Amino acid sequence: MRYGWRPRPGLSATRLSAVLAFALALTGASLGEAREVVDSAGRRAVLPAKVERVYAAGPPASIMVFAIAPEKLLGWTRAMTPDEAAFLPQRYAALPSLGRLTGRGNTANVEVVLAAKPDLIVDAGATGDTYVSLADRVQQQTGIPYLLYDGTFARTAATLRALGAATGDSGRGELLADYVERSVGGVRAKVATIARERRPRVYYARGPSGLQTALSGSINAEVLDVLGAINVAGGQSAASGLANVSMEQVLAWNPDVIITTDPGFYARVWTDARWSRIAALKNARVYLSPQLPFGWFDFPPGPNRVIGLFWLADILYPDVFGNDLRARVADFYRLFYHREPTPAQLDALLDTPEPANR
Amino acid sequence: MTAHAFDTLRLGSLGRYTLPLLGLAALVVLAFAVGRFPVSVGDLYAATIGKLTGTSRPVPATVETVIYQVRGPRVLAALVVGAALAAAGAAYQGMFRNPLVSPDILGVSSGAALGAALAIFLSWGLIGIQALAFAGGLGAVTLVYAIGASLRGRDPLLTLILAGVVIGTLLGSCVSLLKYLADPYNQLPAITFWLLGSLASTSPADLAVVVPTVLLGLVPLVLLRWRMNLLTLPDDEARALGVETTRLRLAVVCAATLITAASVAISGIIGWIGLLVPHAARMLVGPGFARMLPMTMILGAGFMLGVDTLARTVATLEVPPGVLTAVLGTPLFLWLLAKSKRAW
Amino acid sequence: MELRAEALSYGYPGRIIGSDVEVALTAGEIVCVLGPNGGGKTTLFRTLLGLLPVQAGHIALGGRPLQDWSRRNVARVVGYVPQAHAAQFAFTVREIVLMGRTAHVGAFAAPSHRDRAAADTALATLGIGHLADRVYTEVSGGERQLTLIARALAQEAELLLLDEPTASLDFGNQLRVLDQLRALAERGIGVLFSTHDPDHAFLCAERVVMLRDGRILATGRPGEVITHDNLKRLYGVEVEVVTATLADGRASQLCVPGLAGLRTGSRPRPAPTWH
Repeated sequence: MRYGWRPRPGLSATRLSAVLAFALALTGASLGEAREVVDSAGRRAVLPAKVERVYAAGPPASIMVFAIAPEKLLGWTRAMTPDEAAFLPQRYAALPSLGRLTGRGNTANVEVVLAAKPDLIVDAGATGDTYVSLADRVQQQTGIPYLLYDGTFARTAATLRALGAATGDSGRGELLADYVERSVGGVRAKVATIARERRPRVYYARGPSGLQTALSGSINAEVLDVLGAINVAGGQSAASGLANVSMEQVLAWNPDVIITTDPGFYARVWTDARWSRIAALKNARVYLSPQLPFGWFDFPPGPNRVIGLFWLADILYPDVFGNDLRARVADFYRLFYHREPTPAQLDALLDTPEPANR
Repeated sequence: MTAHAFDTLRLGSLGRYTLPLLGLAALVVLAFAVGRFPVSVGDLYAATIGKLTGTSRPVPATVETVIYQVRGPRVLAALVVGAALAAAGAAYQGMFRNPLVSPDILGVSSGAALGAALAIFLSWGLIGIQALAFAGGLGAVTLVYAIGASLRGRDPLLTLILAGVVIGTLLGSCVSLLKYLADPYNQLPAITFWLLGSLASTSPADLAVVVPTVLLGLVPLVLLRWRMNLLTLPDDEARALGVETTRLRLAVVCAATLITAASVAISGIIGWIGLLVPHAARMLVGPGFARMLPMTMILGAGFMLGVDTLARTVATLEVPPGVLTAVLGTPLFLWLLAKSKRAW
Repeated sequence: MELRAEALSYGYPGRIIGSDVEVALTAGEIVCVLGPNGGGKTTLFRTLLGLLPVQAGHIALGGRPLQDWSRRNVARVVGYVPQAHAAQFAFTVREIVLMGRTAHVGAFAAPSHRDRAAADTALATLGIGHLADRVYTEVSGGERQLTLIARALAQEAELLLLDEPTASLDFGNQLRVLDQLRALAERGIGVLFSTHDPDHAFLCAERVVMLRDGRILATGRPGEVITHDNLKRLYGVEVEVVTATLADGRASQLCVPGLAGLRTGSRPRPAPTWH
C-alpha cells in the first residue's frame, strides 16, 4: 500500500497553501519580511519591511529623500536659512539639523543619528572605495542599513528610481525619475542637433575672486558637459576637479560665457578693468546661478541641478530653447520641493539683478 | 680671514648691491615677458618702453590690460610681499636673537588666517576677506604682546615667544573649527585655497592699499636700522649702552606686524621667505642691520617674484606659491646650513 | 662724577640678596669688589647701573638720584663691561665696539665719522686694532673680553663697571686685562670691578670691598682689608698673606693658600697600627 502524499489534480488546501507560501516568499516585503537591497556600489544591505524613518547622510541625499518621501526624512544636514526655508513647506523646512555622515567631512555625532532611530541611512555622491568603506563602517557600527547611491548627474533618474524602491515609494520614485529622463533627454536631443561651432566656450567662476574653477568632467561642472558647452578649463588629470587659475589664464581663454555662483563676484566683475576685455563681459554674458532653496548649478550635486539644466540651456542656446522657464520652474519646484513658488519668489529667482553700470 | 662673502670680493659699499639689483631687474623683465597669455616681445616693448618714448605702434587692448592690469600689479605685489616678509623676518631674527625665527612667531599668520576664514564663512566679498585678514593679523599680535607684557618678572623675549606659540595654536584651532563647520562644497575649498596662498587675484586696487601700508611699516625699521643691532645683545647690555629696549622692541613689533599683516592679507600664507632670505642676506653682507635690511629686501623680492612667476606659468592651473617656496626653499636652506661653518 | 650707593638693599621683590651696602666710585680710582661666587656681586652691579630697581636705600650719580637719569644719559657717564659671552650673530670686532657709541648717536641716526674714530681709538688703546675686522665669535676669550672693554671705552664714560672681567681667561690674559684696568684708571676713568681672587685686588685695586652673602665684611685699602682673618671669614679657608720682595726691590703682597701639607712640606701619613 502506498502511504504518503500523492499529488491530486485540481485545487486542494495543501496545494493552495503551498502556492500561497511560495507567493508570500516572493513578495516578502509587503507582508512583513525583511528584504535585501543592492545599492550603486554593489553593497548589499538588509532593509526592514517598512521604511518610515530615513536619515540622509549628505546634502544631495537629503534633497533626493525630500523629493521622494518628505515625510520620511528625519532631518537636514544643516539648518535651513530663512531664505531657503521660504521655498519649502514649513513643516519640512523646520526639520532638525542632524549633521553630515559622509566622506566629505562628518559633522554628525553617531549617537545623534542613533537617537533619531532611522530605519535606513542613505547617501548619494561618489561611490569610490573610501566612501564604500565608510558606509560599511557606519552600517557595522550602528546596525542600521546604509545605502550608497551614485550621485552623478547622468545617473539621477536611476538613483531616484532605486531609492524610491528601497524606501517603499516606488511610485514616487518612478514619477520623478520619469520626469528627469524625459526632460533631460529632451535637452540632450536638442543639444545634439546644435553644430559644434555654435557651442559656446564657458568659464565657471567660483569663489569671491572668480579665479577658482571646476574642470571639465568634474562633478561640479557636469551640467556644462551635458549641455555640450566647452568648459575652457578643459579636462586635466587633477582628481578633485577644482583648481585655482590666474587672471592671465582667464584672459587667454577668453570665454564667451561666464557662469558664477558667487553674488559678490557677480556684483564686482562688471566694473573690474581686468575682466572688461573678456568676450563674456563685452557681450554681457555673465550669469549668476540662482541658489534657493538649493543651488541650480553646482552644489549640492544632486537632483536640484535638473532645473539648472534648463536655465543654462536657455542662456547658452536662447534660439534653440525658448522654454517658458517660469512654468518649468514652478513645475519642478512643485514636484521636487512640494511647494510651488509664489510669483514674487519666481521673480526673485529668475530676474538676475541689474548690475550697477553695464 | 675676512668676514663676509661680499667683503672678500672687495666691492665698495655700493658695489655690494649692484649685482643683486641687476639680478632683480632682469627678473622683473623676465616676469613681464612670460605668462599664460601670449604676449610677444614686440607687443611688450610697444606697450611699455614704446609708450614712454611715444614711438609705440598700437597694441591690442587686451594686451594692454594684461600688462597693466594683470601682470604689472602681480609683479609689483610679488616684489612688495617678498620684500616685506623678508624684512619682517630679519627684524624678528635680530630681536629674538634667534636665526630660526620667522615673521609668524607672534601669531600674525594665524590671526590673518582666522580673519580670512571667518570672512569666507560669513560669505563676505573679496574686500571683506582682505580687511578681516589684516585686522585678524594685527589683533593676534596685539593680544600676544599684551600677554607678554603683562607677565612680568621673566625673560621678556621668552614670554613673547611662548605667548605667540600659545595664541597661534589657539587661533589655528579656531580656523580648523571654521573649516569643519563650513559648507564643504563652497566655503571649504575657498578657505583651503586662501590658506595655500596665491597672488592670482591681485588687482591695482589691492596695491593701492598694501604698498603704502608696507612702506609705512618699513619707515621705523629703516630709521632704527642701526639700533636694531643692539637688540641682538642681552637685555642688560643693551640697556647699559643706553637703549630703551622695551620701547625699541615695541616699535619693531609694530613695524614688522604691520608689513606682515598687509602682505598676508593679499597673498595668503606664504612661508619660508621670512625665515630663509635673511640668512642669505647675512651670509652676503653680515648681520649689521643697516646693510642687511636692504639686501634682505632685494633678495626677498627676487625670490618671491621668481616663485610667483613659476607658479603662474608652469601649468594651466596655479601652483600654490607656499608649496613652491617650501619645495625650493628647503634644499636651499639645507645647503646654507651645510655651507656656513660659523655663527649666523 | 661720583657713583655712590648708601644703605643699599638690592635683589628682587621678595628676595633680598644684599642689604646695607655702601659703595662709592669716583673718576680715576680703582675699586675691587671681592667675594665668593654667588655672593650677589652681579646683582649689585646691575643695581648700581640702574638695570634693577633698588629695594631699599638709594644710589646717587653725580649727586642726583639714579632713577632721575635717563638710560641714555647714564650710558654717557657709566660704562658696563659684562663677562665675555658667545654671540648669536657674526658681527665684527669693530661693529661690536661701535655699539658702544649708542648713547652718543641719535635715536634714528647712524654712527658718524666721529663715532667711528672713537671706536678705532678705543681699539688702539687696548692694543687690539689688528682684530678690528675679525668676526667676534671667532676670536679668543681674552680678545673678546678686551673687545667689550673697548666698547665701554668707546662710550667715553667716566666710570666703568666690570663684572668679573677675568673669569674664564687664562693666566696670561688675566694679567693683560688687569694691566689695562690700571691704565684706564691712570687715564682718569673710575673702575669698579669684581673678582673672587684676592691677588687681583692686590695687583691693581686701590680700595677693596669685601662682600659675602650680600653684606659688606670690610672696606678699605687692600693691605688693610685683605688679611688672614678676613679671608677666613670670607672664604672659610686658611690663607696666609705674605709680603714678597720683587727683583727691582719693590714690595708686593700676595696670598698663599694654607693647604695642610704646605706647612710641613709633606703629606700626613696615617699612624702605624701595629705595636
